[in-house]
Amino acid sequence: MKTSTRALDASLAGQRIAAVAVLLAVWQVVIWSGTLPSMTPGVPAIVTAIGSAFTSALFWASLAQTMSAAVSGWLIAVAVGTVLGLVIGSIRMLDRSTSILIDFGRSFPVLALMPVVIMLLGATARMEITVVALSCLWPVLVQTIYGARRMDASVVDTARTFQIPRLLWFRRILLPSATPFISTGIRISASIAILVAVGVEVLSQTPGIGRQITLSQQEQRWDQAFAYLFFAGLVGWGIATLLTLIEGRLLRWNRQTHD
Amino acid sequence: MTETALRAASSASSAGSTSKPASTRNSGGQRERSRGMNGFLNVLQRTWLILVVFAVWWFASASSTNIFIPALEDILASLQRDLGNGVIASGASYSLTNLGVGLLLAVVAGIVGGLILGETKWLREIVDPVIHFFRSVPQAALVPLIIGAFGIGQGPKIYTIAFACMWPVLLNTIDGVLSVEPTIRKFSKVYRIPPGLHFRRVVLPAALPQIVAGIRVALPIGITVMVVSELFAANKGLGYYILNSSATFQVPETWAGALLVGVIGYILSVLFIVVERRILGWYFKSGAK
Repeated sequence: MKTSTRALDASLAGQRIAAVAVLLAVWQVVIWSGTLPSMTPGVPAIVTAIGSAFTSALFWASLAQTMSAAVSGWLIAVAVGTVLGLVIGSIRMLDRSTSILIDFGRSFPVLALMPVVIMLLGATARMEITVVALSCLWPVLVQTIYGARRMDASVVDTARTFQIPRLLWFRRILLPSATPFISTGIRISASIAILVAVGVEVLSQTPGIGRQITLSQQEQRWDQAFAYLFFAGLVGWGIATLLTLIEGRLLRWNRQTHD
Repeated sequence: MTETALRAASSASSAGSTSKPASTRNSGGQRERSRGMNGFLNVLQRTWLILVVFAVWWFASASSTNIFIPALEDILASLQRDLGNGVIASGASYSLTNLGVGLLLAVVAGIVGGLILGETKWLREIVDPVIHFFRSVPQAALVPLIIGAFGIGQGPKIYTIAFACMWPVLLNTIDGVLSVEPTIRKFSKVYRIPPGLHFRRVVLPAALPQIVAGIRVALPIGITVMVVSELFAANKGLGYYILNSSATFQVPETWAGALLVGVIGYILSVLFIVVERRILGWYFKSGAK
């Protein structure tokens, strides 16, 4: 089984599919055995629900709502986090003064603020974007600060000796040396954006995939809830894979120093 | 790939934020010299901004007419009251028990699974896409399903936390097992170290730094899921305290609860770093970072 000499890739793909099939079979057997609560849907029901979600306008509309909130919040966080991070990371005084505050913000579970934010902004897309941006800000900020801080001492000395103008220094020295770290922060925060957007929708009346999961569960449409959960996972997985690919391609020049 | 971030995060938060390399930062001589005046200036430099933020919030909210933005004074007063009469203490102990048990289950399952998958290449390659899929499922989206199916009791909340926290531990354990030096592996094989001993004394210590990094990632996930599961449906806990006070329009209490969860998150992450320094003292000393 593991020593298939030809078409190794095809055989691996086959085994992976087999593994998924085994998992699904186990799921189905557990359902039949009755150990799970009776409302848990079986595999055929979930597959049917996934299929019907594909053709439902509601599904695509919720997906679009979730994605647009996640992407807007993420973009805001990337813009704010990069700028703030470069400034804080390259000025030592600021760096020291903000470190505790940033540590605090980073370890703050932003979703706990939901009831407060809902009171202030209502269960709107604007509220969702705010919460997403607040959650995504920290990884970008922390990574950017780290990247800006971590400059080669000899490069800094050279730049100082040649009295490189500030703008040129920023564009050609600070930014390139911080880019690998910034991009890691951007990638991490993209996954967080989806997670938080769905979380916000689960907890509030804001429309989107998460809201649909809660609604389906409340209507006892368990097959549909699992189908939406499946799509939520699929989107998160797709985004993570995509960004890793893009990052790998953009930062190929940096591979020998980065990791 | 995530490791860069993790390392960045740990050294950013624990070792302070000078632009000097870690070696000079930790040297005893510098610490001696910076006593007294320098030490005071250092503390001042690190804390003034927090005091400013606090003061601005205090005075700006003092005259607030928006009922949803209560004065900081009121928030702290209600926090003090509920801390004193045990309302928060009982909620916090419930929530933190859920977090602790869930995290423990996740760590045990993640390490055992990670050791097995790290050592067996064919199995790892086969289940790799499945693991990455499960890791990408938004943790908060599990909450309605698990709570809907199993009820609002303590068990379902613990399972949800455990499920959400398991993936980073699992993936990092696999990475850690893979990073064991081939030479050491060969030695273990040549000397016919029995499998039990091999796992316990060779693979586990070598993978430990990565495993701990995985737990560090899992901790905030666990805190978030803990709060979300209680905000969704509960009759106890910190999340319930926040939700209940917001539903009854006790706005200062809502703010107090949300801020308290943030402070608890911060304290837990600081404590984690302290424990990490202790467990992995040998690793940091070896300069492996």
